[in-house]
Amino acid sequence: MPAPPSDARAHLGRVLGVETCGADGAILTVRTISELAPIRASRFFMLGRTDGVSPLIPRPFSIYRQRGRDLDFLIKITGRGTRALAGAASGTEIRLTGPLGNGWPTLEADGAPWVFLAGGVGSAPFYLAIEQALAGMDGRGPVPRKHISFLFGAAQADHLYDLEALGDLGVSIHTATDDGSSGFHGTVLGLLDRLQGEGTIAQSIRICACGPEPMLRAVEELARARDVEAYLSLETLMGCGVGICNGCPVPTRPEGPLGEWPNAKCCVEGPVFAADAITLAGVE
Amino acid sequence: MVELSVRLGALELRNPVMTASGTYGHGLEMCHFTPPELLGALVSKTVTLAPRPGNPTPRICETQLGLLNSIGLENKGIESYLEHTLPEVEKADTVIVTNAGGESIEEYREMARILDGQGAVDAIELNLSCPNIQGGALPFSTDPAKAAEVVAAAREATSKPLFAKLSPNVAHIARMARAVEEAGADAITAVNTLLGLSVDWRRRKPGLGTVHGGYSGPAIKPVALHCAWACARAVEIPVIGCGGISTAEDALEFLVAGCAAVQLGTACFADPALPGRLVAELHELLRREGIASVGDLIGTLRDGREENLEARSGNGEERPKGIPVR
Ligand SMILES: Cc1cc2nc3c(=O)[nH]c(=O)nc-3n(C[C@H](O)[C@H](O)[C@H](O)COP(=O)(O)OP(=O)(O)OC[C@H]3O[C@@H](n4cnc5c(N)ncnc54)[C@H](O)[C@@H]3O)c2cc1C
Ligand SMILES: Cc1cc2nc3c(=O)[nH]c(=O)nc-3n(C[C@H](O)[C@H](O)[C@H](O)COP(=O)(O)O)c2cc1C
Ligand code: FES
Repeated sequence: MPAPPSDARAHLGRVLGVETCGADGAILTVRTISELAPIRASRFFMLGRTDGVSPLIPRPFSIYRQRGRDLDFLIKITGRGTRALAGAASGTEIRLTGPLGNGWPTLEADGAPWVFLAGGVGSAPFYLAIEQALAGMDGRGPVPRKHISFLFGAAQADHLYDLEALGDLGVSIHTATDDGSSGFHGTVLGLLDRLQGEGTIAQSIRICACGPEPMLRAVEELARARDVEAYLSLETLMGCGVGICNGCPVPTRPEGPLGEWPNAKCCVEGPVFAADAITLAGVE
Repeated sequence: MVELSVRLGALELRNPVMTASGTYGHGLEMCHFTPPELLGALVSKTVTLAPRPGNPTPRICETQLGLLNSIGLENKGIESYLEHTLPEVEKADTVIVTNAGGESIEEYREMARILDGQGAVDAIELNLSCPNIQGGALPFSTDPAKAAEVVAAAREATSKPLFAKLSPNVAHIARMARAVEEAGADAITAVNTLLGLSVDWRRRKPGLGTVHGGYSGPAIKPVALHCAWACARAVEIPVIGCGGISTAEDALEFLVAGCAAVQLGTACFADPALPGRLVAELHELLRREGIASVGDLIGTLRDGREENLEARSGNGEERPKGIPVR
């Protein structure tokens, strides 16, 4: 029985503020009523307003930053649910179910350097990932700054959300845009190739990736072709976030560690999957 | 203190709040959100004889006022249920209802036979009504004679309380209700999802991978309420109301319309802690209204049938059947 994480609860909180971020994004800050332990990067919450403005089904969002009970979420406005959250006035009551999902694996110092690949709002699980890796996770030693590269790709420069704050974390950041308006002209994977080609990034690496489906599919292929340890944080549709609706299936690789059943539940078995456990080929 | 317990045939529930199949997992895994001992009953996700991988994606699609789903009864089959799930669920201090599905009368009979031997199962709910297998065209979801055959087959195979979960996608749900009652059902669950379709006209694409699917949530409450009421008028066995319930007020509407208990579905997705919270709200609401027992409300709708009820309690005669259902 895949179960929601044992620390997940139904929380209530209030909006402290919403700040515009880039062309179509916002950073929503919510203060929860109850205390929250530090949350692992790439875990998420289901969010919705309680005043009836949000749609029926809450929406999943990665934890972007945490300062005790104050939680930041980076939200790209794409539809009804995101609009309702980004448009919430200070004081608006928010229902938060979480923290949900597994989060990134232990980002260990030992081993190949880490490369974090983000596409658009796929940057959301990386702010905390960088913070946590630099601090050392799960009792392990801190990852040296030079062993973390953050490659941030987007359609255009003003979709490279919160770039300045990410820069302040002190790891090397490289950008790529589809239209060439910032950094490398092309995809994050093209950028990775370039950086590896010129020796800025080592040949042997470990990858964490979050972004649109085509990007993750490309990372999955790369991981398989070059035998790279890679973790993908997926953004499937979610009806509940806690494992009870079966609306978030991710096809598993028959020969992989989850292969005994054709689907994994993204919400409770993910959202982070090792690239060899799943297959995005054929997924829309 | 308000009395919340209700009777469901031979079963006593500590309160009328149950979970709906397929919308609360198997129940126990949700214990951090709602401890099972707060609930009247937990209903499992539909279990089938053979494992089913489920339908293609997208499997869910939210619409303006409800949710469309096409899960396709994804489950690991009865063997896995008995080996891994039931031994866990058994620990829950509440009534355990296993929802059983199938595509043939034989499959239902076999499911009932297998579950009959399980001490942990307090009742069996037959899912006669899934819209997401064979496109909702399973004959026993719409044909009273076929539904009766399924129930009769299951009835032969088990002495456990047997619920028949009906589809609203029929012309006369009262006929379905009478058919399953006569075939030996101990209760009726009304209703499963409505058939629905969502269209993205710009992309010329349906919202679900299987094109159409089951519609649920607040939008279906009046339809579900009507179905439950029509069933309750038509049969003697208890009716469990289901469809669009998300508040204590909603639950009481179903009880007044004639239901002995209610099931919460889609609303649990918005707040997984809802079932427990709703029980507390129900208690508080009745206390405020000065109603001593929730049972006093069941079937009290002033729908012009009160005289019949009184006549029946007076002379013990059977309730007149076949009242035309509007
Ligand atoms: C684990 C997880 C973490 C996420 N973290 C973030 C985050 O930190 N910041 C952020 O902005 N978004 C995040 N998302 C995506 C976010 O949940 C969706 O963008 C949101 O649900 C869209 O809701 P809407 O009502 O605004 O759009 P809708 O009107 O529902 O849909 C608008 C468009 O968005 C697409 N969409 C809908 N739901 C999702 C989804 N779950 N994932 C991807 N696309 C979707 C639809 O197909 C449609 O094209 C995350 C998703 C998951 C599963
Ligand atoms: C995602 C989802 C999955 C469901 N799965 C099942 C199922 O496996 N078996 C079943 O009998 N009903 C299933 N149902 C139907 C519900 O149990 C319930 O009858 C219906 O959703 C109406 O109630 P609601 O409006 O409160 O959700 C499912 C409903 C949804 C939304
Ligand atoms: S989102 Fe409901 S099971 Fe994963």
